[in-house]
Amino acid sequence: MSRYITRLRMRRTYKWNGRPVGEDRKLKRQYYESMSISVEGKTEDATVSLGQYILIEGDDDDNPFVAQLLKLYTDDSGKKKTAVLQWFVRMCEVPQNKRKLLGRDPHPQEIFFYQDRSCDNEVDGETILGAVQVGIYVPVQDPFPVGKSRDILFVKLLWDTKSFRALDPELMQPSQSPKSPPPSSRGPQTRALPTPDPSVMKRAMSGILTRGSMSTGKMSSSEAESLHSASKLSAAKALSAKRRSQAVSGPQVRKKLDLCTPATPRTPRHATPSIPSRTAPARKPGNVLEEARARLHVSSVPESLPCREQEFQDIYNFVESKVIDGTGGCMYISGVPGTGKTATVHEVIRSLQQSAEQDEIPHFRFIEINGMKMTDPHQAYVQILQKLTDQKATPDHAAALLEKRFSAPAPKKETVVLLVDELDLLWTRKQNVMYNLFDWPTRRNARLVVLTIANTMDLPERIMINRVASRLGLTRMSFQPYTFKQLQQIITSRLNRVKAFEEDALQLVSRKVAALSGDARRCLDICRRATEICEHSGSQKNSSGLVGMSHVMEALDEMFSSSYISAIRCASVQEQLFLRAVIAEFRRLGLEEATFQQVFVQHQALCRVEGLQPANVSEGLTVCQRLGSCRLLLLEGSRLDLFLRIRLNVSQDDVLYALKAD
Amino acid sequence: MSKRRSLTEAQCVSLAQKLLRERLCHQKLPDRPLALDSQYKHLLELLRRTAVHGESNSVLIVGPRGSGKTMLLGCVLRELMSLKEAQKNVLLVELNGLLQTDDKIALKEITRQLHLENVVGDKVFGSFAENLAFLLEALKKGDKSSSRPVVFVLDEFDLFAHHKNQTLLYNLLDVSQSAQTPVAVLGLTCRLDVLELLEKRVKSRFSHRQIHLFSSLSFAQYVDAVRAQLSLPPDFPDPKFSDAWNHSVTKLCEEKSVEEILRRHFNSSKDFRSLHSLLFLSVSRVSVSHSTLHEADLLEASRLISADSKAIILHGLSILELCLIIAMKHLNDTYDGEPFNFQMVHNEFKKFIQRKSHSIHKFEKPVVMKAFEHLLQLELVRPVDSGVCKVQREYQLMRLMLEHGQVMEALQRYPQCPTDVKQWALSAFA
Repeated sequence: MSRYITRLRMRRTYKWNGRPVGEDRKLKRQYYESMSISVEGKTEDATVSLGQYILIEGDDDDNPFVAQLLKLYTDDSGKKKTAVLQWFVRMCEVPQNKRKLLGRDPHPQEIFFYQDRSCDNEVDGETILGAVQVGIYVPVQDPFPVGKSRDILFVKLLWDTKSFRALDPELMQPSQSPKSPPPSSRGPQTRALPTPDPSVMKRAMSGILTRGSMSTGKMSSSEAESLHSASKLSAAKALSAKRRSQAVSGPQVRKKLDLCTPATPRTPRHATPSIPSRTAPARKPGNVLEEARARLHVSSVPESLPCREQEFQDIYNFVESKVIDGTGGCMYISGVPGTGKTATVHEVIRSLQQSAEQDEIPHFRFIEINGMKMTDPHQAYVQILQKLTDQKATPDHAAALLEKRFSAPAPKKETVVLLVDELDLLWTRKQNVMYNLFDWPTRRNARLVVLTIANTMDLPERIMINRVASRLGLTRMSFQPYTFKQLQQIITSRLNRVKAFEEDALQLVSRKVAALSGDARRCLDICRRATEICEHSGSQKNSSGLVGMSHVMEALDEMFSSSYISAIRCASVQEQLFLRAVIAEFRRLGLEEATFQQVFVQHQALCRVEGLQPANVSEGLTVCQRLGSCRLLLLEGSRLDLFLRIRLNVSQDDVLYALKAD
Repeated sequence: MSKRRSLTEAQCVSLAQKLLRERLCHQKLPDRPLALDSQYKHLLELLRRTAVHGESNSVLIVGPRGSGKTMLLGCVLRELMSLKEAQKNVLLVELNGLLQTDDKIALKEITRQLHLENVVGDKVFGSFAENLAFLLEALKKGDKSSSRPVVFVLDEFDLFAHHKNQTLLYNLLDVSQSAQTPVAVLGLTCRLDVLELLEKRVKSRFSHRQIHLFSSLSFAQYVDAVRAQLSLPPDFPDPKFSDAWNHSVTKLCEEKSVEEILRRHFNSSKDFRSLHSLLFLSVSRVSVSHSTLHEADLLEASRLISADSKAIILHGLSILELCLIIAMKHLNDTYDGEPFNFQMVHNEFKKFIQRKSHSIHKFEKPVVMKAFEHLLQLELVRPVDSGVCKVQREYQLMRLMLEHGQVMEALQRYPQCPTDVKQWALSAFA
């Protein structure tokens, strides 16, 4: 397995202590009582034995997972060491929306007994970092002890993914650990800590460097904060420096060490930018037309999404099944712009989150990225990582961290639903971004559902290389452009009994848009414009006050009619003559391209025919450039002066039609 | 009153000139845009809704150069800012496609104009990606009713469409179509085909509102506009002077020759910017001794403006250079516009000297070559771009960048042109 080496990792070696205590012949397992962990560069080995509380390597270096060791065994090859655990959760691992259930502020060192059957409780033995002290406080009313070391964690309550409950002391007894002393019924009880390894690590991270300050357990808060927000690198440095100081423990080394700690406070990592708020709140819509306009704005969130029921159901079922099974998968959604792809997916997620809220399905995280909203395809990693863990990293580092996150078997993992909008922009030459996005869901422990959205139906065939297309799989869905009936229904449902449109007018809009593109955005924009037109004309003549055919026609005209013809009609006499000269010259040459010199000769002749004073070359060139700048003419090689090449950007018939009419 | 009396004529003239110059150089917005009433109302209404109701919009203002797009927008924004409800609520971001040549620069500029860079303290934020994420986050946080609307003005909108992936346009238009901070995206462009430049996703997010500025002025309205542009306002400090001035302007516009000049200008272009340059030149000729506008001023200004740039260059040539031009013209006639080289021109010239010339001195070939090179530097002659670059200078193929008519006109006006040279130019055969 090619795994990225993402952080400065201590190399640890794991060894069984003593002989196996039991054997399961059927499963070919050999059970052990304890394991010793030797860390490179240290003479003393740490030992973890059954019943002890241990730290498990996780995503967050500062807060490793906590668990109680129940079993240790190896398979018959003797290579793979597996640990069976009882998990504990920290407050930061409890879903955000459930934290308030605790009803009080959690103690910073508080952990909770974790009770969830769906959770995988076997981990690779080599992810164990070391032992940790855990104090058990039953009954609940007892206060937390003050002034104790920061390394001791406390358990009071039980968390069963739905609520916090009082902890039954019986649960805390490891079922088959003969060695562990029985928990006393009153008072805090701390277990012996055979190894200093995790505490050393923690101390190094939190900046306690001297023995004296450790014993008091106090440090200046500013120092702690600055160290906490310092980059990983400096934490790692401090760690390795600490190690060295332990080995040598000379005063000179300590001096050096102090230099490592950054003294200047950093700006907060996540500054919150925001647009200043307005002095007075925005005015609410006053009349029916304004109300209708607000409802018809594309940005307003509709109560329901009509006409996409089938697609909604399909996506819902797909995501729901993946979330329930805790597996992963990919889905590709295509459709022309404005057919409700993103809106439907958002709707699906919203209703799934609702049912997760009511505990009908397990919780999941929803993350959205958009190819258009990033500057470079590799920024996708950065954004995913940031939204997942609030970490900032460079693209390469982020890719490595994500790779690790999605391939490592971690317990208590929520399913992540990732929406990738505008997928085609994530294309790179090697396609590694797409490859990774589609490869992660296939990992055994990833629990990742990827929904991708793009415009073209055949995107996988067209731009993806085989191994990428194959991983994307065949779960495809295509959103057809809306038909006129659907468009009509969309408008009606948006208006929701606000009577502002005549029935015919609505039908006209939807038929027109359906014939052109089937883009719902277009449809809504036209309706909005029509209400404006109606409002303006409504003040003049006392009509019904509803948006009628004429208003809609006017709005349609404004948006769809080509402006070339009116531009030609409003052009000056010389400009019109020049266009005619261009056409005359094209006819003479039998080509669709002429040089300025040729056209200019025609132009002068036409001027004489019309009885105007012929323009000189400079004036002629000015006229020509002006037509070129509004793209009635296409000009090539403006350096060439007289030999400027001229083509028409409008059809000859259009020009003649526009010129004839007046 | 005594103060008004004390204004001398000279002060009046300089004051009037200052006023008119301000008007003609577009330093001051007019009170009301001319002949653009419906567009004005449409745009104002749109922006008012963004400012007051927090409705997001996008609109393109399309019109040929000099048709008053920026002026219209300026007037609308001025009125918008005078509304009490909008005054302190609207944030304005102005971008220009010629200045913000890529999205990175544009993003920095937007952040600067929105005063967002101070939010993160002294942090100078670096990468393009960070900037984009930062701005999007800022815009996403807002909502319709509580955050201040932002008006984005994108001048030379078509140039933004050439940015990579049209990221900026997509994001701005996407914000305008989703429930985030209310924005109004205004694009100004002179390209009629600007919508075809937009990528389909970007296009779908654009509201397809376009305000076209095509002037449908008739000539009578045009003359009225000229009169209005030249008249002094009623609040001019010296009423006597301004009355006299306005009267003279009215009379001037009725004169036949002035009408002819104006008609000619109107025919060549209807936009006000070229009119302003004409009027500016004529106003500049007003002085104390010459305190009203005269017909001659306009005539002179019109002559200056419509002069052919190459004809002016031809006037400064020597007789020898002129002869070479005539030789080239003959070559052009003979070979139907095919390119020629120096040797051919020289031969033609030699033939003319031998057969017809009585007044032209016989020049050495290097002298003729020098004259030819001067023409090359003036770009009256240009080498044809050909693949072969190693050609002797005498044989390099050239093209004449002058029209037949331009040469003849220059000859007519050339001071003391020898008759035989004129004859040669007029003759059909070399």
